[in-house]
Amino acid sequence: MQVTLDKLSKSFGPVQVLHDLSMVVEEGEFLVLLGPSGCGKTTALRMIAGLEEVTSGRVHIGDRDVTDILPKYRDAAMVFQSYALYPHKTVAENIGYPLKLRKVPPPERDKTVREVAAQVQLEDYLTRYPRELSGGQRQRVALARAIIRRPAVFLMDEPLSNLDAKLRVHMRAELKHMQNTLGTTTIYVTHDQVEAMTLAHRVAILNHGRLMQFDQPKTIYRDPANLFVASFIGSPPMNMVDGNLSNGEFTGPGFAHTLGKDLSVGPAVIGFRPEDCSVVAAGNGLIPAEIYSNELIGDHTLVTCELHDSSAAPHTVTVKMDKDFEAEMGAQIAIAIDPAHLYFFERESGNRVRV
Amino acid sequence: MTAAAPNQPKGLYAKLFEPKRLGIMAPGTSVLVYAGLLFWTIVVLFPLYWLLVTSFKLPIDVNEGPRYLPFVDYEPSLHAWDYLLVEVGGDTFRPYVNSVIIAAISTILAVLAGSMAAYALARITYKPRFASILSFVVGIIAVIVLTVVAGVPWWLSLIVGLAIFALLARTVARRFRARLGNGDILFWMISQRILPPVIVAVPVYVMFQRIGLLDTHIAMIITYATVNLPIVVWLMHDFFLSIPRDLDESAEMDGATKFQIFFDIVLPLAKPGIAATSLLVLVLAWNEYLLALFLSSVDAQTMPLLVAAQNATRGPQWWSMSVLILLMIIPVVLIALALQRFIAKGLLVGAVKG
Repeated sequence: MQVTLDKLSKSFGPVQVLHDLSMVVEEGEFLVLLGPSGCGKTTALRMIAGLEEVTSGRVHIGDRDVTDILPKYRDAAMVFQSYALYPHKTVAENIGYPLKLRKVPPPERDKTVREVAAQVQLEDYLTRYPRELSGGQRQRVALARAIIRRPAVFLMDEPLSNLDAKLRVHMRAELKHMQNTLGTTTIYVTHDQVEAMTLAHRVAILNHGRLMQFDQPKTIYRDPANLFVASFIGSPPMNMVDGNLSNGEFTGPGFAHTLGKDLSVGPAVIGFRPEDCSVVAAGNGLIPAEIYSNELIGDHTLVTCELHDSSAAPHTVTVKMDKDFEAEMGAQIAIAIDPAHLYFFERESGNRVRV
Repeated sequence: MTAAAPNQPKGLYAKLFEPKRLGIMAPGTSVLVYAGLLFWTIVVLFPLYWLLVTSFKLPIDVNEGPRYLPFVDYEPSLHAWDYLLVEVGGDTFRPYVNSVIIAAISTILAVLAGSMAAYALARITYKPRFASILSFVVGIIAVIVLTVVAGVPWWLSLIVGLAIFALLARTVARRFRARLGNGDILFWMISQRILPPVIVAVPVYVMFQRIGLLDTHIAMIITYATVNLPIVVWLMHDFFLSIPRDLDESAEMDGATKFQIFFDIVLPLAKPGIAATSLLVLVLAWNEYLLALFLSSVDAQTMPLLVAAQNATRGPQWWSMSVLILLMIIPVVLIALALQRFIAKGLLVGAVKG
């Protein structure tokens, strides 16, 4: 079902943690709320769940305004970061608890529990207690407990963050597959950009309680709306170099770049992704620099270059090079960048300057 | 330069007080530790031993004592046991049953009501206005003044008092900002146990006398449950705080009501706390003397009173007291053993993370 947030705000005493969040999550969509810790993403999710009171604004699930109704009447199921399994109940009792509360007769309940357990490969663990399960199995119990009700909306609060790295990648794929099979609208909170990029149909990026950008993962990566999104998405992050943009020319430490358009914004930031630039011989390229260090990652090499910046503290940028790249530390080089992959931002507001 | 690790010393002190390997105790240390433990064991167990041997003594063995060892110092006799359990068996049995009924029911009531209050205080944020509480006090004073001074029938003054409270709370009190929090409520509750109980003994006596409930089980049960309630709230509050809130919220999302969350999820997880608290409250009720002295005489007399009565007309009957005290100790020990496994067990393993 469609979930609509209309100017949702939340304050804890004098502190406002969410500012007028408005968005429409389409039916069957996998939406990821992404942001650094304290950006208000979990608060937003809890307000949709009904676990947190709304300060102002409305929440709609389907055609219903659910802003002021109890969580149990919202038809939303939630998976918690901690899994929140009931430790004194067996796996079967945990999964079947939502049905028990809805007074589904035991034979039918057992049958459904078995079906759902099979869906998450837990058939052999039904009589165990949560403490006897591994992290991944506990995670599956939490998922099964959410899907058994066939809810209108799944709400997930960093469900993978307690798993080790390998299992996380595996569960990520399972989760995406499951959501696709069930076709249930899903709102997923994470601070992990890889999870966001891989899982989401659309990503909503929050910072300090404000919506920064709301779009498909590839658009967010290719066309960031502002400095925050540009620097938050991407690993290693986008390189940012401070400078000045006036009369259609960006001047930075030791270089100048002429834009096609006659623009003047004053203090500005130029950004480029590590994979959109390359290390070339000194004298060529755009930005003169010196090799600070190079690290072979495996399929590529990350080269850290120090800019010739006399005014400010040492300023480095990262260039992603071929795995065969070799260079002496301290060597004088230059960085060449495809002008099509340059991004400009106003330094104060962080807004994108479109060229 | 790094300092080299010191060599192992070889003096007498080191021999006695430094262990030869990891994981064992040095000889000198173990002698000191076990001597201390032994001493304390004797301090704790000797009174019990003395009770046991005294219960088998004849008056002459006590009066011409001290005699320590049965069969050696004196010939053990069952006369005190025979006298209390057979000759005047009814008079022993009745207080015993009273004690069981009163302690058990008052404990169940106090733990049930107290843990519900504690759960509410652990999960819900209350912020009563200070001025509303003052309005309530004003209402109560009005009831007292009307009934006692003006001679108005009690039900009429009660209505007037409630009306005054409601009126003040809805009008004047709203203008004041000051509010209390959960911590204040909790402290107010436990403060009821800070005052010595003697202070309430007389008013409670008069109250039950007026409504004709003196020397009844009901009066004793109500009193004990009320007196122990703050302890239950105080102890259980901490246990409930230690249960992750995620579990409550998860159950709420699953569709449970607040009472279902409490009885299905929270209470089973608080079993260790319930067991420990019940045991403490049970023992307090079981051993209570002062209020029982005021509130009961014959029909609701409890064991502590019977024990004290052995010191009455014919001088201290140590042998009878010993028998009665032993009879009193047995059920408490059995219950403690039964509850021990709950208290020791950590039930929260596997709830969150791993």
